[in-house]
Amino acid sequence: MQFGSKTYRADGFYDELIKADGTARPHAEKLVDYFSAMRPEQLLERQDAVDSTIVDMGISFTIYSQGDNIDRAWPLDIIPRAMPGSEWDRVESGLKQRLAALNLFIDDLYNDRRILKDKIVPAELIDSSRNYLAPCRGAKPRHGVWAHICGSDLVRDGDGTIYVLEDNLRVPSGVSYMLENRNVIKRVFPSIFRNHRVRPVSEYPSALSRMLQSIAPAEVRGKPEIVVLTPGVFNSAYFEHSYLARTMGVELVEGSDLMVDSDDCVYMRTIDGLKRVDTVYRRIDDTFIDPEAFRPDSMLGVPGMMRAWRAGNVALANAPGSGVADDKVIYSYVPEIIKYYMDEDAIIPNVPTWRCSDPKQLDHVLKNIADLVVKPANESGGYGMLVGPHATRAEHDKFRELLKADPRNYIAQPTLSLSTAPTLCDDTLEPRHLDLRPFILQGDTISVTAGGLTRVAMVKGSLVVNSSQGGGSKDTWIVEDAD
Amino acid sequence: MLSRAAERVYWAGRYLERAENTARIVQQHSQLLLDLPEEAGVGWYELIRIFGAEDAFDDDHNEQATHDFLLADTNNGTSLNFCIKMARDNIRNSRDLLPQESWENANELYQTVRKRLAQPMPGESRFEFLSDCIGRCQQINGILIGTMSHHNAYHFLTLGQRLERADMTSRIIDVAATYLQQNERLVLRYGSTLWTNVLKSVSGFQMYRQFCQPEVEGLMAIDFLLNDEAFPRAVRACMEEAKHTVAALPRNANLVRELDRVENSLPSPLPDELDGARVSKLMDSLQQQLANVHTAVVKTWFLPANTA
Repeated sequence: MQFGSKTYRADGFYDELIKADGTARPHAEKLVDYFSAMRPEQLLERQDAVDSTIVDMGISFTIYSQGDNIDRAWPLDIIPRAMPGSEWDRVESGLKQRLAALNLFIDDLYNDRRILKDKIVPAELIDSSRNYLAPCRGAKPRHGVWAHICGSDLVRDGDGTIYVLEDNLRVPSGVSYMLENRNVIKRVFPSIFRNHRVRPVSEYPSALSRMLQSIAPAEVRGKPEIVVLTPGVFNSAYFEHSYLARTMGVELVEGSDLMVDSDDCVYMRTIDGLKRVDTVYRRIDDTFIDPEAFRPDSMLGVPGMMRAWRAGNVALANAPGSGVADDKVIYSYVPEIIKYYMDEDAIIPNVPTWRCSDPKQLDHVLKNIADLVVKPANESGGYGMLVGPHATRAEHDKFRELLKADPRNYIAQPTLSLSTAPTLCDDTLEPRHLDLRPFILQGDTISVTAGGLTRVAMVKGSLVVNSSQGGGSKDTWIVEDAD
Repeated sequence: MLSRAAERVYWAGRYLERAENTARIVQQHSQLLLDLPEEAGVGWYELIRIFGAEDAFDDDHNEQATHDFLLADTNNGTSLNFCIKMARDNIRNSRDLLPQESWENANELYQTVRKRLAQPMPGESRFEFLSDCIGRCQQINGILIGTMSHHNAYHFLTLGQRLERADMTSRIIDVAATYLQQNERLVLRYGSTLWTNVLKSVSGFQMYRQFCQPEVEGLMAIDFLLNDEAFPRAVRACMEEAKHTVAALPRNANLVRELDRVENSLPSPLPDELDGARVSKLMDSLQQQLANVHTAVVKTWFLPANTA
């Protein structure tokens, strides 16, 4: 495939838009035609237009650097990443199946513990998890749903198979960038949308609002009062917190705006006096929610919040304790979990995973560490992990020691050859690795975003897509199949 | 409206007003000292007294130290630098509620001031620097008045400004009263210069002359600054505007009462035999009452304790 004067090669990886023979995949034909007709200076001019639109719209993210918070303009590549609608339909049902099963699992763990009694998942794994929160035992959130908002990271391997790499059940972020990426691309490339049937993503804030209403305490009459709880302006995802509150038309609050009264109900302080709150979409971590129940030093939370939640007077999304299911060791059991509760096979496979808690598997990992990716069970954002093939011998040795010292806390996976898509680098299009984070909502029903947030590793050959570590993003298109 | 959001715009209003007044007072005081002989006994330390910072300021009472303290010192809660930083931070955190340009201008003011005050400022540059600060504060005020809808956020901003303004005016009168107490000979000889300076500190000289009397005289000046209903920096006018603002806010009964109390305590007409000591006492109690108004604002809107 020609892009300008240069030939684009996918370098032996699975490319989302271009087949191995260099021609466009059927769902991406028109998209590829459009961009291959552009000269390098036109591509650059469009990228400038995208960048300045992002600055004008104030789309930013915050990174921490030596104690300072720096607002950076959000990086967005001009070439959308496209997937065929029929393929997405299958992914979508897989994601729904997965979240439904995970919620049955969490509810079971905090109540009957059947799956532990049946020895499908070892009980000591749960009881030793720092994300299993004792104060949540016996709680009964509405619809039996604990993780209401889930961001699952999907990757595609060399043979085209899509895997779930991890489930983020605590406070997954990125959805505002998915929405804004689409808004920017629509502004800068209005004409390409005329030739494609791209599924819209813009209904997410309404879907989120509907879901948050559906989980409000059952006795609430009229429209439930929803708030978004943020740690504050210095948080790296503050842009998103404020974006979601604004687009849902609800208040963005900090811990000090809320209080729990002697009636165990949550109120927010307004100039009209105290106002009852029914659903809190909290964007602060579990153990910061309530200094009475967890960390006494938390300045972010609300004393008494857990009491109010346990009494059923307020809904928390996600429910505290949901994080027990996004531990990376638990991840390795998800296919069994789906089978156990749903009596179905997982529609989207897991990446094969070695559990270091098992001596045999640990042995395999220690021997083959140079070929594997090793991840700590509880970190996110790509921190604390080892990419074997890209690491030095000294780093391999360091991780061998870490694994031996705390095997429960690590898993290992083969190094996947992540798929690529054409990405504007300097003035030419080159393949760059990417992943995809769709967002799944579960209240009284389950819904999934059409696509999600595509993150791109902008450095050649790199697999690290996190925006805090130099990653970029793409607009993600689910293209309806030709009739 | 969230209490915290209301509190932020209220403080944005207060600090913006305090910054402008601080710049104005320091500027006018420098001008006054040029007109007075040393034996008049008015020095730089009077400035520290205006801001009630006697306890915090233990440095030499020379010109440089006083200016460093009142303009640059970031640990001093009344310094120009500090007020501008607080105004800017509160405006920044209220960006959803305030016009975008007010944030841009506040940020620019903050960056300029921080840069200028990072190095020692020669006395010659001070006048121009302070004029620039006053102008920029007025510009931000102009943006807010000119482009902001008159809803809750605007009301809280205005309320903060009026209370701060009344407080600043009372402090300036207080210092003038100490001049009165100090030295009768001084008052006779330089009285008019002193009171002109007092009026200029609140940009009131011109309006005083136009609407009161051409010659400047102590009691008339105090009366003008306390009781005038038309001059926007007079205490009574500030209270009237504050009452007007409060009328648009919910659950305001307590505030209306507190503001009335302040207004009723303003002596009108002023007694003929008012001396420095009595003025000083009067201003102390006025400041206490303004502090009570602030407490009532906090209790009513910022820390609501029970269900409405």
